[in-house]
Amino acid sequence: MYKLSPLNWNQTKSDSVIDLNKMCAIPFDPANTDYQTFKKEVLAGAELQDADGNVMTQEQADDFIKELP
Amino acid sequence: MTQAAALAQYGSTGVSQGFKNRIINGNMVIDQRNAGASVSITGGSTTYTVDRWAIFENGSMAFSAQRSTTAPTGFINSLLVTTTTGAAAGADDRSQLFQRIEGFNTADLNWGTANAKTVTLSFWVRSSLTGQFGGSLQNSNQDRSYPFSFTISSANTFEYKTITVAGDTSGTWLTDNSTGIQVLFDLGMGSNLLGTAGAWASADYRGATGDTKLSGTTNATLYLTGVQLEVGSTATSFDYRPYGTELALCQRYYQLSDTSPSVTVQYGGWIGTVYPSGTQAFGLGVFKVTMRSAPTITFYDETGAAGKVLQNGIAGGIAATAAGITVAAFNTCNRTSGTFTNGYPVLAGFTASAEL
Repeated sequence: MYKLSPLNWNQTKSDSVIDLNKMCAIPFDPANTDYQTFKKEVLAGAELQDADGNVMTQEQADDFIKELP
Repeated sequence: MTQAAALAQYGSTGVSQGFKNRIINGNMVIDQRNAGASVSITGGSTTYTVDRWAIFENGSMAFSAQRSTTAPTGFINSLLVTTTTGAAAGADDRSQLFQRIEGFNTADLNWGTANAKTVTLSFWVRSSLTGQFGGSLQNSNQDRSYPFSFTISSANTFEYKTITVAGDTSGTWLTDNSTGIQVLFDLGMGSNLLGTAGAWASADYRGATGDTKLSGTTNATLYLTGVQLEVGSTATSFDYRPYGTELALCQRYYQLSDTSPSVTVQYGGWIGTVYPSGTQAFGLGVFKVTMRSAPTITFYDETGAAGKVLQNGIAGGIAATAAGITVAAFNTCNRTSGTFTNGYPVLAGFTASAEL
């Protein structure tokens, strides 16, 4: 289960995602193996919440993943 | 090998005395995560033991692993793997001890080209079992494999083994910050993952046909140390690097804010100032060395609770995560719910992981 990190003062979109099971922050870096796992798991149906905690539909989640690096 | 032969190899094959061993922490000394404590390995996930070394298994067997002080002459540590639950391996079951070497550190081997260089893998090994054991060298896609085998002749006795491998002239071998070469030791692979020793194959082979399955015998043990992968057709003496150098090499892939993530966060960890919104705190957490990728970060409070921070003078155990993460630093702490109190610093230890 994942949740997008909140924006900070100079951001217009999240730069990382929170793994809610492990309570760790995973940056959107294609070389990060946890990031690679996050993308695979969400595309396979794992829950993704936006930064406000709203659960994305699978279609929304898929579209979001496709926009990531 | 004689000194003259060693010097000749240095001169003729481009072996550098500065980084001849492409394996990091081959002598199993650095153990940032566990500090010598035993870890359990069960079902379907990768578990890191000593730095840079991980075990994966996906069958019904189970292992424990820890840094050991049982070691051959010239070494002070080894990695001990014990089968805590022995079980037969299914055809696709995988039990493996492995290290993934970053492509930047293997780029000069020219694997995947006609100019591929020969390498030699050497190590000290000891087991309660005897017979043929094995492993494999693989590329990142695991579609090129070189199974190797070796024989342990005497139980509970360290033996020195060397494996020379002609470089692979085929396949795709990455030369960036991704996995360049995977070095695997077979702890009990299923039959579909075993291939003929001593030859390259376009297949996912993680051991050699006929390997003894450590995973099949409860309480079986395997000790490994002095692991070295070097250019050339002859194994040379182990490349002892200064402890601080070896630690820094490990920290490119995993690092703690202090000697443990919960040690006196006021001194060794991260400190931030509460932003007026109250949900975030800002402060620069600079990594000890530049990491392989922007790392996954976990905060710890002063009790060692993961995913928690301490607001000094207010409360500990506050759920929070990091953001603003690059290969060099991070700058943000996001409170999961509620708000911080303005005027009080937020403190945390942390781990940063950029493993391959």
